[in-house]
Amino acid sequence: MSLFHAMLPEYIVVGFILISLLGNMLSRQRHVASWLSLIGMLSAFGASWNLWSYSLKPHMFVGGGVVVDNYSLFVNLLVLLAGLGTILLGWREKRWGTEFPVLVMLAVLGMMILGLAGNTITLFLGIEILSLPLYILAASTHTALGGEAALKYLLLGAFSSGILLFGLALLYGAMGSLTFVTFAKTVAAPTSPLLWAGVVLSLVGILFKLGVVPFHMWVPDVYEGSPTAVTQLMAFGTKVGAAAILLRFMDFGFYASPGWWGPALGYLAVLTMIVGNLLALPQKDLKRLFAYSGIGHAGFLLIGVATHNLDGARALLFYLLPYGLAVLGAFAVLSLVAGDRDQVSVADLSGLAKKRPVMAAFFIVVMLSFAGIPLTGGFVGKFFLLQAALFANQPGLAIGLVLGTVLGLGAYLRPVQALFSADGDDQVAPNWTVGSAVVLVVAVIGTIGLGVYPTPIVHMVNQSANFFWLH
Amino acid sequence: MLVVWLMVVALAGSLVTLVVPRQSAKTVAAILGGIVVALYIGLLVHPGQGVNVAWIPAWGIRFHLGSDGLSLFLIGLTVVLTEVAILASKPEWGRVYFFWILFLEFGSLGLFSALDLFLFYIFWEVVLIPIFFLLTSWSGPKGRQAAMKWLIMNLFGSLFMLIGIVAVAVIHTQPFGPLTFEISQLVHLHMDARVTPWVFAAFFLAFAIKAPLWPFHGWMPDAYREAPAPVTALLSGVMSKAGVYGFLRIMLPLFFPEFVRYETGLLIFAVIGLVYGAFMALRQTDMKMVTAYASLSHIGMIALGIFTLTRVGILGATFQMVAHGLMVGGLFIILGFLEQRTGTRDISAMRGLNASAPRLAAYFLFFALATLGLPGLPGFVGEYLIIQGLVVHHVVFAVIAIIVLVMAAWYMLRVFQGVMQGPEGTKQIADLKAGQIWWIVPLAGLVLLLGVWPNGLTSHAVPSLYHAVHLLAGKGGSV
Repeated sequence: MSLFHAMLPEYIVVGFILISLLGNMLSRQRHVASWLSLIGMLSAFGASWNLWSYSLKPHMFVGGGVVVDNYSLFVNLLVLLAGLGTILLGWREKRWGTEFPVLVMLAVLGMMILGLAGNTITLFLGIEILSLPLYILAASTHTALGGEAALKYLLLGAFSSGILLFGLALLYGAMGSLTFVTFAKTVAAPTSPLLWAGVVLSLVGILFKLGVVPFHMWVPDVYEGSPTAVTQLMAFGTKVGAAAILLRFMDFGFYASPGWWGPALGYLAVLTMIVGNLLALPQKDLKRLFAYSGIGHAGFLLIGVATHNLDGARALLFYLLPYGLAVLGAFAVLSLVAGDRDQVSVADLSGLAKKRPVMAAFFIVVMLSFAGIPLTGGFVGKFFLLQAALFANQPGLAIGLVLGTVLGLGAYLRPVQALFSADGDDQVAPNWTVGSAVVLVVAVIGTIGLGVYPTPIVHMVNQSANFFWLH
Repeated sequence: MLVVWLMVVALAGSLVTLVVPRQSAKTVAAILGGIVVALYIGLLVHPGQGVNVAWIPAWGIRFHLGSDGLSLFLIGLTVVLTEVAILASKPEWGRVYFFWILFLEFGSLGLFSALDLFLFYIFWEVVLIPIFFLLTSWSGPKGRQAAMKWLIMNLFGSLFMLIGIVAVAVIHTQPFGPLTFEISQLVHLHMDARVTPWVFAAFFLAFAIKAPLWPFHGWMPDAYREAPAPVTALLSGVMSKAGVYGFLRIMLPLFFPEFVRYETGLLIFAVIGLVYGAFMALRQTDMKMVTAYASLSHIGMIALGIFTLTRVGILGATFQMVAHGLMVGGLFIILGFLEQRTGTRDISAMRGLNASAPRLAAYFLFFALATLGLPGLPGFVGEYLIIQGLVVHHVVFAVIAIIVLVMAAWYMLRVFQGVMQGPEGTKQIADLKAGQIWWIVPLAGLVLLLGVWPNGLTSHAVPSLYHAVHLLAGKGGSV
């Protein structure tokens, strides 16, 4: 398989970025660019799907810098889903120009690169290609809150990129290699302080993007200030990209010695699950609520890395899908309820069950999935993680997961109960829009489908995370 | 297969009620509930094999449903009480209300017929959701908090049970067993002595919260008080049995040696609940709360029967589960009628109502007497069997149980006397309507039938229970 063939999905996205830029010169109408990006990402989705179905063994290119395997292709599918959702949710936003779809595609490209990164250079490239468009998108509605969010994101993001880069440089110094798979050979030998510092600093950089406690401070402010569609991309896409690279970095580079980083990530996972969900409890703004719940979910994802076994990798990969679908659904409802506003509070949902029963029912389904109630995908994901934790003989992770889930439950049930409150009877009922409706229906069908019959996706995930050395 | 059809009809029916015209939702739900009852009669005649197909093969999870002597009558209790609850509800509560009631029936049927631990857990949590929404939207002023408490407390226990379930399955794979969640295979498990107490505690917590057993009953007073009468009937009639059923179906086969080891402690637990419930029932002024705490006390009695670990005690508990469900369900619904007619639940605000509503008073007395264990009615049979089981090894507990039976008569008759007897008050209330009589009579008839012909149930329940306890005897139990 040639490099071009293997990276076809990425090339398609790059191609459509260029076509959209040219198109923008010819037509200043955004829906042209939006349609182009939809077509581009759908074809990239199709190409990834096609490649997934027949590429079973990994292909390495550029000296191991690019690894195309079922894992990277599965990540492609997830982030493209997030990108498509963003375009559809932002379809009616008047404040955006023609650059919006291009920037979204660029961010998605960064996430796709994170999925296939095999050395530290592609890792860093992916993180930067992902982050730069998001800085712009955060401020793209020209509101004060958006500007604040973008500035915070930019400054802290640049700072964390610096830390990451320093860590990667130290790793190179310690091991004389950039490629993850060659790390493993060196790591097995007695470790030097240089190596330790390198691992710690690079982990901090990646965990910052994932939004893990104690590197989570930026998340709520940035989510709150950013436009709803962009927040969705951060909550779903960025998390997929960061989780994918974290897993690849750890399971490719350090599989030989789970030594100290396994327990360290385990403690961080428990801390994140509990703190994230605990802070979600008192939130009144829905975007902040989902920001903290996203932090909590980053903790759940971290379980998959901390277990350091094949089940963990698979569970992490699986969990990304129900989480992402729930994010899509929740933000679709958010954008419908918000209308032209950027802020939505829990109280804005009052009386939705009476005014828009179908919308309310869909919202309930995605919230129950967040909470991990059976017959939704979220439950199967948590069950998978629990299995991984116990197979790894780490009951502490399992107990942390349970406590985090119970805390999160309180946070997710409040908006659900608000739907039935009589306070909002005087507010006008939100109108359906086509883009949000499509996203919502896909999210709800996917969530229930995953909960009732997860077998095909479990099979797909088992094929995707199939790192032989973890057997 | 028939047991699956029951569930299919309940689930499809719940969706159908969502789309029918608003005013006919109750009629449609009642007809669908009736079809489920009819199918259940078919199930009694031809129990059949159930269904067992692969669901998530990668994890060894199977869609395995079936009915045996233990679950058959609990399934019956579910379908009968659901139909009664539908008929006792008001049509103006709307489509979504009946959707949740039928969905609850679907979940409960699945819970009682699941033979795969994963499947059991799915339904175990699914039944929480309808109750949550029923408490949120169709309840008293504090329904929201009650709903929140219900879901969070129950899920707290359940999630620990989930760890327990996965732990049991994972231990089963070591060193080289297959990954499976089939209860019948996990029974042969040998666990490390350091792990077992924790797994035992995880399961126990979930079942004790759902039942509820003292001191895990924190959600109970609020939920029972706030829920509309038909929902309270389902909560205490069906849902509380789910917790006890878990002890019988899952914990007893899996953890028999632990039950033997902790027997005294568990008996003390149950007996405290028994006495506490009775005392609390005595000092309530709200007639619904008297019955709620009476129900807590009865669950303590049923748990006592199971923890005797004797065949007769367990049999008594099995019988009492079904009997108590029917009796207390009927009682809550009668109390609901009273509340609807008088607008209050305060015992001191009512007196002499039997003059204006003699039929209502008669059925009230019937269900109250059944609950307090009058011979000839099923409460007596169940309690007799449980006490017989206790007498063998634990005379002290048997004596306490008998004293509580006397107290039961006291608190139940206190309510009846206060509300129905005495000089006639100024208030006149309407009696039962003809439309209500025709389903209360069958319910009362069923209670009477169980009272005079307990063998109809016990003869079916014996073989499978005997099998269960016998199997355990091989693991070091004394029978």
